[in-house]
Amino acid sequence: MPGDAEGEAVVAESLSFYGEVDPQTGLLVDGRSIAGRILVLGRARGSTVGSYIIYALAKNKKAPRAIIIAGRPDPILITGAILANIPLYKADPTIMKTVRDGSRVRITNNTIYIE
Amino acid sequence: MYLSREEERILAGEEGEARRLALSVIVKVGEALGAERLIPIKHAHVSGASYSTVGEAGRRFIEDLARMGARFSVPTTVNPVGVDTEDPGRVPVRYTREYLRGQKAILDSFRSMGAELILTCTPYYTHIPRRAGLGPGSHVAWGESSAVVYGNSFLGLRTNREGGPLALMAGIAGRTYYQGLHTPEGRRPIVEVRVEYGPLDEAEAGVLGEALAEYTPHGGVPLVRARIASEPGLRELAAAVGTAGDLGMIHLEGVTPERPDTGGIVERVTIDRGEMAERMEKVAPTGRPDIVYIGCPHAGISDLELLERELRRLGKPRSRVLVSTSRHVYMEALRRGLIAKLTSYGVEFVRDTCLIVSPFRDASVSVATNSYKAYFYLSRKGVRAGLAPIPRLVESAR
Repeated sequence: MPGDAEGEAVVAESLSFYGEVDPQTGLLVDGRSIAGRILVLGRARGSTVGSYIIYALAKNKKAPRAIIIAGRPDPILITGAILANIPLYKADPTIMKTVRDGSRVRITNNTIYIE
Repeated sequence: MYLSREEERILAGEEGEARRLALSVIVKVGEALGAERLIPIKHAHVSGASYSTVGEAGRRFIEDLARMGARFSVPTTVNPVGVDTEDPGRVPVRYTREYLRGQKAILDSFRSMGAELILTCTPYYTHIPRRAGLGPGSHVAWGESSAVVYGNSFLGLRTNREGGPLALMAGIAGRTYYQGLHTPEGRRPIVEVRVEYGPLDEAEAGVLGEALAEYTPHGGVPLVRARIASEPGLRELAAAVGTAGDLGMIHLEGVTPERPDTGGIVERVTIDRGEMAERMEKVAPTGRPDIVYIGCPHAGISDLELLERELRRLGKPRSRVLVSTSRHVYMEALRRGLIAKLTSYGVEFVRDTCLIVSPFRDASVSVATNSYKAYFYLSRKGVRAGLAPIPRLVESAR
């Protein structure tokens, strides 16, 4: 999905938006914030309610600036990202080796740059 | 993706913001999954209607859509909600005022979008399929996994396992993406499972569903050679398949209305009496349960008839017997005198909801059920649960 973005990475190997993200605060269960960051996911899983959680994050102004998924995105994540108007990018699984929490990520013309 | 002129118009917003949003979601999800075009649907069934499952996030989304002026463009039904809408006291739960308010807001929104508010996970037991003109080959967008498997496998419908919001969007847009179980290739079995034991009662059918989910690779379709004793067994099989894995369809030989293309089968598995017995033993209830629970997915008339026969044979139970069903089946059972007979044995009915999607979560009670799906979710809610067929449940309740 198009849309350029730039920000600080928050990396999660696997995430269920339902139950593991607080839509009010944008905090993950481990206390990290995804609000205004670039969320890099190894895999999204879990209930279809996840789409609604992503939507609520945006309504509460706690959404990530963009989401990068390493591998195949699932319909729940895609639906949520579209409803919330969050740019969603598919990346090669090797991104999980190069990106860390706090990495500066810039996305222009469908290319992901990591500093 | 190829789009018709009408679809282009909708995407340009010429039919309003809600339809534009709905169709754009479907197009983008379809594109991400490799669909080349859309397909008109005849019916949508929306899951994610209970305030317990969608919460404030879902309420807000559904309400925003309704405010935007969204209208369903095909007949649309809705999954169970968190309460019996006429009599919340029927469910063994203490509701907060906030919960009831949130649930009402969701219902009001669906109503304003033009949904038919038969709140059930078994839309196939109602007059809806006939009225919507559904039959083998009809394309629909269903969002309840048990109904998806039932519809594809036993009614010959064509639907993917849509998420709740996607079925909602498809109902508004009147279309979904043409991919997966909508296509003949997507319905080709890739594994064959033969059951050397049967006929299976409804509890065993559920356990077979668990096995099928294990033996079928991600998103595939199994060809199943097994004998299922009764219609409730088919429903429980479908529900278990949908619960235990991510399958959206099985080909059940002699029942599935289409002939399977077996050219793609890469593996053959046999399930014998010993494996079935072993799986049943793992989930068996122990002792007299506090609650006997029937109706996940929502009970049909034949469940109620069987329950009545067993209660007549064995007498009034000491355990609580709770049945969840749709308002439609309840009214039909009322006409047939079944409700009067069953309530005389102390059977309690909840309508529009069930123990799974209501906030029921009582770790101090034990529940025995004939539904693998109910067993699965109640166990995960911390409730002590066991699985057995109706005659055994009634016997254990004495």
